[in-house]
Amino acid sequence: MKTIKDKIAKLSFVALLLAVTSAMFYTPAASAHGEKSQAAFMRMRTIHWFDLDWSTDEVAVNEQMTISGKFHVFAGWPETVDKPEVSFLNIGIPGPVFIRQGSWIGGQLVPRSVTLELGDTYEFKVLLKARRPGDWHVHTMMNVEGGGPIIGPGKWVTVTGTMGDFVNPLTTLTGTTLDLETYALDNVYFWHALWMSIGAAWLWFWVKRPMFIPRHIAVSSGKADTLISPLDKKVAMGFAAGTLGLVMFSLGATNEQYPITTPLQAGLMRGIKPIEMPETTVTVKVEDATYRVPGRAMQMTLTITNNGDSGIRLGEFNTASVRFLDADVTEDESGYPDDILAEEGLTQSDNSPIAPGETRTIEVTASDAAWEVYRLADLIYDPDSRFAGLLFFFDEDGNRQMTMVDAPLIPSFI
Amino acid sequence: MAATTDSVKADASEAPLLNKVNLFSGLMLYLVFYSFIRWYEGVYGWSAGLDSFAPEFETYWMNMLYIELVAEVFIACGLWGYIWKTRDRNVMSITPREELRRHFTHWTWLVMYGWAVYWGASYFTEQDGTWHQTIVRDTDFTPSHIIEFYLAYPIYIITGVSSFLYAKTRLPAYSEGLSIMYMVSVLGPFMILPNVGLNEWGHTFWFMEELFVAPLHYGFVFFGWATLAVLGVVNTEVDALTKLLKKDLA
Amino acid sequence: MSASQSAVRSRAEAVQVSRTLDWMILFTVFTVILGGYHIHYMLTGGDWDFWTDWKDRRLWVTVAPIVSITFPAAVQACLWFRYRLPFGAVVCVLALMIGEWINRYLNFWGWTYFPVNFCFPSNLIPGAIILDVVLMLSSSFVLTAVVGGMAWGLIFYPGNWPIIAPLHVPVEYNGMMFTLADLQGYHYVRTGTPEYIRMVEKGTLRSFGKDVAPVSAFFSAFVCIIIYFLWHFFGRWFSKTDFIDGEGL
Repeated sequence: MKTIKDKIAKLSFVALLLAVTSAMFYTPAASAHGEKSQAAFMRMRTIHWFDLDWSTDEVAVNEQMTISGKFHVFAGWPETVDKPEVSFLNIGIPGPVFIRQGSWIGGQLVPRSVTLELGDTYEFKVLLKARRPGDWHVHTMMNVEGGGPIIGPGKWVTVTGTMGDFVNPLTTLTGTTLDLETYALDNVYFWHALWMSIGAAWLWFWVKRPMFIPRHIAVSSGKADTLISPLDKKVAMGFAAGTLGLVMFSLGATNEQYPITTPLQAGLMRGIKPIEMPETTVTVKVEDATYRVPGRAMQMTLTITNNGDSGIRLGEFNTASVRFLDADVTEDESGYPDDILAEEGLTQSDNSPIAPGETRTIEVTASDAAWEVYRLADLIYDPDSRFAGLLFFFDEDGNRQMTMVDAPLIPSFI
Repeated sequence: MAATTDSVKADASEAPLLNKVNLFSGLMLYLVFYSFIRWYEGVYGWSAGLDSFAPEFETYWMNMLYIELVAEVFIACGLWGYIWKTRDRNVMSITPREELRRHFTHWTWLVMYGWAVYWGASYFTEQDGTWHQTIVRDTDFTPSHIIEFYLAYPIYIITGVSSFLYAKTRLPAYSEGLSIMYMVSVLGPFMILPNVGLNEWGHTFWFMEELFVAPLHYGFVFFGWATLAVLGVVNTEVDALTKLLKKDLA
Repeated sequence: MSASQSAVRSRAEAVQVSRTLDWMILFTVFTVILGGYHIHYMLTGGDWDFWTDWKDRRLWVTVAPIVSITFPAAVQACLWFRYRLPFGAVVCVLALMIGEWINRYLNFWGWTYFPVNFCFPSNLIPGAIILDVVLMLSSSFVLTAVVGGMAWGLIFYPGNWPIIAPLHVPVEYNGMMFTLADLQGYHYVRTGTPEYIRMVEKGTLRSFGKDVAPVSAFFSAFVCIIIYFLWHFFGRWFSKTDFIDGEGL
């Protein structure tokens, strides 16, 4: 009977270990990234991402992919978020499912935090190398000190292969080639195991003899001195001397083995170069804007003046990563994520070209389920009920101009 | 004080001083339960826990939260009510042997309390750190919070209060008055749970980054210090046990 | 209860009972202190302890010993002065490091896949042994605070350097210099932790030359002495066995 019980106990333990192990090596089938929770005003009035390109949507472990594009730092930055004086170009992925091999703003490598200027537009690129298999939502992301993470658009990318194959080779300035994934791991385990064993030995030296009640009886009856023998003192001195000796020896040996080491590198990077955007020849005035709650549509009355020398048409309204396009004027060719692309989401009362020198007032409607799905409609519950976004105009030759809108928004509940 | 080789034979008709089955079953109960929780978290944290607005989050995580909160209220009321209801009204008249047996049962409770504190304050609290480094916090009820704050913390609170009530209702040493350090060691860690209110308010108000050493978290630190009151509980117990065993150990 | 009755049948049983209780008490002290110490340490010095790209020559060296000498001082105040058990510091530190290792392995690596060579804990054992030995040999909390506390602060960095030194080897990467630890922080994406929250290498301490770690360690050692005193008295308070009248509670 006892044998059967033991077997059951053993098998249960093995099953438990297997269950925990299987959870550790589980490959997820689907996961999103929680960007919808961010207040609509933060996504509409801080960083606007555009011209994004994810180089692939399927990549094998150890292969690279890039995300590139531009972001505009909105001049109407909200008061409740600190200005982007200390910002970090991050990447919105669930932990190190990719490693970040490089990130650049305006051609400058930005491994550390940078200062961004309101109203400027920057070009960026992030180079990733796949590490863990699964379907991952890969977002652009900017962290702003005092503001938190500001998440941009995300696209699903499938990583195939096995994580065990992942390698991260590097060559140091001292000429050593190593795999950062496992580098120095044995050294970490060795020293921790050694020191913890020494600590455990000290503990064992004392706990192997009677502890609490008998020692309390001795101390409270004035016989405390009998509890520590001369041998105990010698052993203690041995432990102390051994500890000091081992620390000194290991310090010397380490300095001999690694004569060249440098401090951690830190510090804010200033002077990041923005893109020189072409002078815009379009002016836009928002006469009024309403959000119709039942229809999940935002309606704007815009007065547009074309000061250029070619007819222009409004083709896109881009806010909080959601793109509303007028299909008659432009279409997406970049493979932008479907859930935040409304290919026919922008309708205009008159979308014929606005001639050079002409001023026209038009009704523009941006409608799509994304207002609800991405919780932009919650803007009406914000304490500062304003909306903002980018408008893209196209001339007859297909040239593009970008302007910003930033105006109050009135909700309509009927 | 010297160790002895004399055999110690228990009277067959008498209940053992320490019920080892209870002790090991209790330890295994927590271990198996938390291993299951860790497995659940490992799988559904990734597949359903990254986006709090997704329907699967409601299914796998919010429902877990509702179930655990209801279960905890029932278990706490049942357990605490049972210990109180079955209290010994003549605690001062028990035999020394019965008192010693009860001390062992009390220490079984305290061992469970220590075990539960480990899982709550060490294992699941630091684990919450790695989840916050990994994802963007998009709700107060992240998968790691649903387990840390609303499962592991209530479990050690239920265990700790049960232990306190057991001592208060069954042991002569605690029958008169209230042990200050026992209350601190149970109520201090209990206060970590209400302190979640400060934590969530701060994170929501300022949208802070995931800096573990942020002053916002110092409420947890302050109440964590209360675990040191276990020293006072040990001392109180050792005093009581010394009275029971002194003449036999001498 | 009759005073003439005995709780045990024989001296042998008394010894066995006492020994069984020893283990139960030790287990409870170990796990409860582990919980409290771990929560304290991770929220006062945790970020430096989690990541190699926080383990710098200044703030890690300064902060980690100061916030970690707390619980050892308090537990020593009870275990030595009531029981003459000289393992108060080691039991705390061993508990903390076991708790940390379980977490770093099963969760930082096993759940969110950060490599262990990026998220291993700091080594606190050398200081703990010295602290226990000084208290045992001197039986004086004043001497332990001054000598042991100072040793605790001073020995922290050399006790950890053999573990972190390989990660401070420089590497040239896309036209910039990094240490391997910096590169770990850059490569292994922490979505919720932007680079700017790192508190490392701040200030102008480097003006006095490149060997800034000893200066940081010395300052840390000074504060450790004060913190030891403070927490020794916390430990004494927490060791009390007083009861209060329950009226009005």
